[in-house]
Amino acid sequence: MTSPLPEAPQGPLPAIAISVEKLSAAYGGKTVLDEVTLQIPRGTSFALLGPNGAGKTTLLNILSTLRRPDGGSASVAGADVVRQQTLARRSLGVVFQDSSLDDRLSAWENLEFHGLVYGMAPKLRRERSAAVLALVELEDWRDDIVRSFSGGMRRRLEIARALLHEPQILFLDEPTVGLDAQTRLRIWRYLDEMRRERQLTVLTTTHYIEEVENADTVCIIDHGRIIAEGSPEALKSQHGSRWLHVVPRDQAALDAIRAQRPDAQLLGQHGLALPADDGAMTDAFLTAFRDRLTEVRFQDPTLESVFLSLTGRQLRDRADGDRDAERAAGRRGGRR
Amino acid sequence: MNTFVMALRGLYGVWLREITRATRDRAQLIGGISRPLIWLLILGVGLNPYFRGEVYGEVRYVIPYTYLQFLFPAVIVLNIMYTSIQFAVSVIWDREFGFLREVLVSPMPRWLILLGKVLGGATVAMLHGGLVLILARFADVTLSLEQTAVALALMFVLAFGLTSFGVILAARVRSFEGFGVFSNTVILPLYFTSSSVFPLDPALTRAQQAVTYPEWLVFLVQINPITYAVDALRGVLINFNQFPPLWGPLVIVAMAVVFFIIALIDFNRQ
Repeated sequence: MTSPLPEAPQGPLPAIAISVEKLSAAYGGKTVLDEVTLQIPRGTSFALLGPNGAGKTTLLNILSTLRRPDGGSASVAGADVVRQQTLARRSLGVVFQDSSLDDRLSAWENLEFHGLVYGMAPKLRRERSAAVLALVELEDWRDDIVRSFSGGMRRRLEIARALLHEPQILFLDEPTVGLDAQTRLRIWRYLDEMRRERQLTVLTTTHYIEEVENADTVCIIDHGRIIAEGSPEALKSQHGSRWLHVVPRDQAALDAIRAQRPDAQLLGQHGLALPADDGAMTDAFLTAFRDRLTEVRFQDPTLESVFLSLTGRQLRDRADGDRDAERAAGRRGGRR
Repeated sequence: MNTFVMALRGLYGVWLREITRATRDRAQLIGGISRPLIWLLILGVGLNPYFRGEVYGEVRYVIPYTYLQFLFPAVIVLNIMYTSIQFAVSVIWDREFGFLREVLVSPMPRWLILLGKVLGGATVAMLHGGLVLILARFADVTLSLEQTAVALALMFVLAFGLTSFGVILAARVRSFEGFGVFSNTVILPLYFTSSSVFPLDPALTRAQQAVTYPEWLVFLVQINPITYAVDALRGVLINFNQFPPLWGPLVIVAMAVVFFIIALIDFNRQ
């Protein structure tokens, strides 16, 4: 792959791209972030994983200077997000969870606006706009009004726009919702290349496991606290365990299992998850309840089970579980 | 120097976006054209004969101008008011649909973002006011190039102030629906109490004025800043002032400065 980009100026840049020190935030008396401390080295891919409402977006909003922290400090690319806002913003590219495109402008006009607001020279604007449009394969739609775009196209344009001014640090808030697998792969490949070539740092927030498996570091966050941090492999070997997922035949069976195995976790409406590291216990359980189960499945350690064992809850909270599962299935092309 | 050029580019970008969006908003353009036509062609033409008439059996000339000429500058102000205050919708739109965040995470300082937006809105509003100027000949107003230039400059500063006022309203209004009702209850009373459709002094002497108009109405007209904006434009376009000629431009500039500062305070707080 050849890079369509001009060389970035090579200056002495801090080795730590994002530094967060005892950061706290509250919303109407409710704590959203509770003394979060983080260090993200330059050129790495860092994923914040947690359920909706865990505080991920609040953290991103503070880091992108949209919100002031209620305590602690944070800096991006060496610039304090409260005292050196302009400097901090200059180094950032942000893709928000919800669209922030102007849907009365064309794709090109949205990029042109972005380039102007970031003070880019006309020639550079044109070159970069063409390059990022090509990256997300929207060249054929460059003069179409964004209002006519599908959700996936908007998402692609938004990612293209965030990369236009060649940021040092890229924030992706729930980035790949609505993207097909092929586009996602191409964008991640491009981001990996940028990380290698120009030490781009990527900070992703998500509540989808699939998106964080390739991250260098995964940070699991729940109720505004960091509960685990490490590479996906390390997290799995440390906290992950084998689980047995079962669906009891009826409520009576479910109650019976829960009475006998207090370590069983509820899974959705009808299912249960039991730790299955102890082979003998698992065998005993299966023998006892064999006829009262409709479904039995072993689950090897995943980040999902890491989350489950750390918090006692599933990553996708009950309320939006079904919708998310549907969405996720949609993104996987209907395959389960 | 480099930072300055970058800031100018950003300002231009924000301004250009407002202009581009306005040219795509058909409804607003139609309003901008139909409003002066209705006010001048129907109300203006209809009331023209009644503007000079008999009071207590005595023929009086209210002012040495026809009603159409008298109304013409006020319709310009009306068009600017509508477009400027409707600008709040653009601000609410940015906020509600997330576009605002795109600008807020950019390196542009907030005051520059707001300045660009207000300049953009003011340019559009001034052009809508300028649409009325095309009807000048029809209203028996003859304009020199110089008059037109001075009028456009005043219109722009007025539009700047009123657009800032729209931003102030936007910060206090949560929904689009609420704003629709709100804007009409703000614009029309301001317009009617600005001595736009009737002269403040129908009898030319102070004694008769108090008899003719109730004091509360005169008071409302006198405290309404739009009164002085209309007066300033009348001074330029038909050479008629009801107040000392300097008051109008002063009030227009004062509105621009004060409203922009308040809008900036609001915008910084968000």
